Amino acid sequence: MGEFLIYGIMALVVVIFFLVERANPEAIARFEENVLAVLLALITIVSFSQVIARYGFNSGWGGALEFTRILFAWMILFGMSYGARAGLHLGVDAVIRLFPARLFRLAALFGAFCVFAYAITLLWASWLNLFGADTKGGAIFYWNRMFQIGIGLDDLRYPEWMQETFGLQDRIQRWIAYLILPVGLALLAFRGLQAFIQIWTGERDLIIAGHEAEDLVAENRNVLKD
Amino acid sequence: MTAAILFVLVLVLLFLGVPVAVALGLSSILIIAFFSADSMSSVALQLFTASQNYTLLAIPYFVLASAFMSTGGVANRIIRFAIAAVGSFRGGLAMASVLACMLFAALSGSSPATVVAIGTIAIAGMRQVGYSKEFASGVIANAGTLGILIPPSIVMVVYSAATDVSVGRMFLAGVIPGIVAGLMLMIAIYVMARYKNLPAEPWKGVHELIEGGKQAGWGMFLIIIILGGIYGGVFTPTEAAAVAAVYAFFVAIFIYRDMGPMKDIPWVSETDSDRRRVGFSATVYGLAFFFVWMILSFFATADSETVTLSHRFWVGVVLSVAITIAYALWRGTGGVAAIPSYLTAGFPVWGRNLGLMGRNFLRAFFNEETRKVMVDASRTTIMLMFIIVNALLFAHVLTGERIPQSIAETMIGIGFNWFTFLIAVNVLLLIGGQFMEPSGLLLIVAPVVFPIAMELGVDPVHLGIIMVVNMEIGMITPPIGLNLFVTSGITGMSLMQVVKAALPFVAVLFVFLILVTYLPALSTTLPYALMGPEIVTR
Repeated sequence: MGEFLIYGIMALVVVIFFLVERANPEAIARFEENVLAVLLALITIVSFSQVIARYGFNSGWGGALEFTRILFAWMILFGMSYGARAGLHLGVDAVIRLFPARLFRLAALFGAFCVFAYAITLLWASWLNLFGADTKGGAIFYWNRMFQIGIGLDDLRYPEWMQETFGLQDRIQRWIAYLILPVGLALLAFRGLQAFIQIWTGERDLIIAGHEAEDLVAENRNVLKD
Repeated sequence: MTAAILFVLVLVLLFLGVPVAVALGLSSILIIAFFSADSMSSVALQLFTASQNYTLLAIPYFVLASAFMSTGGVANRIIRFAIAAVGSFRGGLAMASVLACMLFAALSGSSPATVVAIGTIAIAGMRQVGYSKEFASGVIANAGTLGILIPPSIVMVVYSAATDVSVGRMFLAGVIPGIVAGLMLMIAIYVMARYKNLPAEPWKGVHELIEGGKQAGWGMFLIIIILGGIYGGVFTPTEAAAVAAVYAFFVAIFIYRDMGPMKDIPWVSETDSDRRRVGFSATVYGLAFFFVWMILSFFATADSETVTLSHRFWVGVVLSVAITIAYALWRGTGGVAAIPSYLTAGFPVWGRNLGLMGRNFLRAFFNEETRKVMVDASRTTIMLMFIIVNALLFAHVLTGERIPQSIAETMIGIGFNWFTFLIAVNVLLLIGGQFMEPSGLLLIVAPVVFPIAMELGVDPVHLGIIMVVNMEIGMITPPIGLNLFVTSGITGMSLMQVVKAALPFVAVLFVFLILVTYLPALSTTLPYALMGPEIVTR
């Protein structure tokens, strides 16, 4: 049951991203950025108000720390696929740029493939057994186990009214927090594959950024040139 | 054997243009899959728990604070203050650029941001008064590296997360070396200016210095909140960072008004009469003093049993009223009797500004510019954190294979002592710094180097500062020097030209590295005097 559910969710998210992006690439980019901005704003505001509540009113919310930490993880794990699409992830391009054009493209394809392979292996490691590894498990397996056990988080609880109206347990289930792990990795695999195809068709140069300040430099390129 | 495969795998992937994070992560995963009995589930879970690290949670906040502070206006104010302070020396504009970089570094934990924010303004200014483009770019490329040495610094947060050294001590430890490095650069500039006969700016007087300081003060108070709060034990470094982010947002939108719905609307309009201005300024000084007083006294007396909130509050009220009256007396005419009329004259200005803020309060959060800053900060955070999370995975595999221990035993067996060991660390980091992003490199090297250093009696805080200074030098040495790319990008000079231009100052930083390496007191004095020694339990 849990296994079908998680495959379903992962497939649904990836398919929606794929279809919406085909219809309107801007919309997905904006959606991704808004999710990240809201997550960042939320963790900042919650942490800040905890400090104010502690010293100003001698109170606080016991779940705040766990809440911010989970949202931080969500931000990173959701953001990694955004980063692959937007070309944020750093890499060393100095060496491959010395290669002849054909080899350069081969290396670029390999880079995109590695992103895909990384995500797939973390999702479902058993495919490596084809190559003689002895391993099992992965994010899907782990999520599924959490879903079946149904244990709750340490400090995050459902509000009273939700517990009463829906007859819920008092702690929020772990699998809800961990949902981003398989979903984020599935999106990363999708973006890796997409980059691979884009490099193949010549739409894209590389999956990596040469250095961390590429945006900053692009915005200010040659502002001081004579 | 496994160790060798792991390192070779990472290097091959890295140089084939695989993203740094994936190169680290994928090699670790493959090693685990093929050589260990660990289940991949626990590895996937580690990805999640590493993303939850509480110390690293400070990174998005610092990035956000720095993004709000990196608008052009803040850099302009800082440069104005720096010119007023040191501009009148020979080569003063270049020295002022170094000072401006140091001050800006205290608002931002990133070197490229410092180079762009200060460089775009300062290089143009230096060229106008006759400095050569090479000299100006060389100064900025080097002074920009101070961004990661002067707190708050993201690289220090990463070091603390890797080694469990306290972030507060690391930040305090960066203060003196940061100032020393800045002074060394300034002295080098002064000597070169004498030799090359570079111009000096006219001394603009104490008034300009105070005016510049006042303007820059709102921004610079950020670093006082961070260091004061951590040192006073009021908040954890992560909380300090969150407070700093909110403060930076508030200052950028409501006080400086460099961005957002109230962009470029001045506090005092040109049509306001002198009487209004004096009354308004008097109350602003009073109120500003009150807030600074409340915050600082809170930091200082947070643990005290005898001083209560109402004590501090009433002392603050009395002092700020005194300041308000004194200012009105000094600036106004008509003596004590005229004070009430001055103060009431200021009310319409207050009313207008508070009304403006109230009407725009919601729009301050939801507007295109705020959104852009939030997105930029998220992008930087993701780029850094994806590398860091995978580097943690890599470090975990290293320790799991007991690789650091075996390297430690070999090195001590060969007869390394702390002196030769630190040379080895410097060489290793200088080479590594050419190819890797600083935080990623630090997370890979720290688990190997740290235990050896502890064995040899090197101070953990001192080791951290050495590492940070090495990263700095890595940023301005080819082939992959971040600040070189940035400087070459904004000036349109070729990379080789920038390398040559930066060279004389890189030599200065090398001397500085030797100083920092063999004078531990430089790094450890301040944090240990204020917070006590760092104790390592291992």
